[in-house]
Amino acid sequence: MDAVKSIFQSVFRSRSKPRFQRLSWIRTSWRSVVNDHPIVRRSWNTLFWLPTAIVFTDFFFVVKQVAGPSMQPTLNPNSSQWRDIVLFDRYHVKVEPRYERGDIIAVWSPSDPSKLFIKRIIALAGDVVKTLPPYPDLQVCVPEGHVWVEGDERFNSDDSNVFGPVPLALIDAKLLYIIFPFDRIGPVSSRITVRDDLPKGPAWRNEMAAIERQQWRDSRVTKRSE
Amino acid sequence: MRRLLRKDWPSLGRKFGYGILLGINCGCMLHLFQRYIGGPKPAYGPSMLPTLAVQGELLLENNLSYWLNPKSIARGDLVSFVSPINPQRLACKRVIGLPGDVVCVDPTGEKAPSTEHVIVPKGHYWLSGDNAAASRDSRWYGPVSGRLIRGKVVAKIWPPRSWTVFRNPVSYID
Repeated sequence: MDAVKSIFQSVFRSRSKPRFQRLSWIRTSWRSVVNDHPIVRRSWNTLFWLPTAIVFTDFFFVVKQVAGPSMQPTLNPNSSQWRDIVLFDRYHVKVEPRYERGDIIAVWSPSDPSKLFIKRIIALAGDVVKTLPPYPDLQVCVPEGHVWVEGDERFNSDDSNVFGPVPLALIDAKLLYIIFPFDRIGPVSSRITVRDDLPKGPAWRNEMAAIERQQWRDSRVTKRSE
Repeated sequence: MRRLLRKDWPSLGRKFGYGILLGINCGCMLHLFQRYIGGPKPAYGPSMLPTLAVQGELLLENNLSYWLNPKSIARGDLVSFVSPINPQRLACKRVIGLPGDVVCVDPTGEKAPSTEHVIVPKGHYWLSGDNAAASRDSRWYGPVSGRLIRGKVVAKIWPPRSWTVFRNPVSYID
């Protein structure tokens, strides 16, 4: 209320001033509004730096929660009560694209622009993939500029076996790190290798199962000849 | 030399750093404006002759209407989209088929038999360049997902002598 009154008074008084001084009331009234009301100052600061924050999450890193069972047991396993929270890397998709077979990526659905899937890259452009049902053809050569993506849980996954190869431009981000829950915190690598240092317990068995799944995925892909 | 030592370097450094941050913020705002609301963009290539020249032209892109309402695309509109074959490039073509339409793949018979028709899947568009002989479009890479489309190209703003607003040239035959 005081701000409105002071604005009105300064506009009224400025009619007698020379032209270049008349608009200084905008600056003084803005200063008084911002400095007297901390809420206005904080929201203005947030709004002011919002473009940088948006571009940072668009081009560098973003944190998201994983929904759905299509990447079990890598993400959201049945043994976990909570949905995984993961860190995505957008730098290696938007700024400096780098894809390998085995990367877990977030990819937009080609037919529904609001759905984001998290799947694994099985094959790159030029590779020949042996597909799974319900894909109509038994073998597909992935076209230029496209990738073949599949979920780790093949029976419950809407992936390239349903909608075909996906253009690289639909890829949104690459999975880098699992942040939550804390018992599976750590980086998610695109390829696992056999380790000698694990004792032969449940963790070793899980690793071996993951290696077996990786071998099965590799067996269905004929890499493009160099 | 003593004048250099007497300057308040820390506060100058702080001001310089703040200036750099302001510059970054300004650049980010311009980038977001140009990506989500629209702006001028250059165009190259022969695939849209005679509507667009091979080079040297600036087009005006309207991304806001597509962002707010993805269904605002009509048959015959010029759209800008990320190329399905090269994600680092933007392309500009004309919309021929909306989701659900039955489209003749290539009436000239070069890329496919002239009787071959496809049904455009849900969420995809069939795009075609005006210069069919020199255009890599949906006849080559199939229907394009609506998620790849950025916005509509509404006008040509440079060079000034060929300033045009693109109107939808499609007419329907019943």
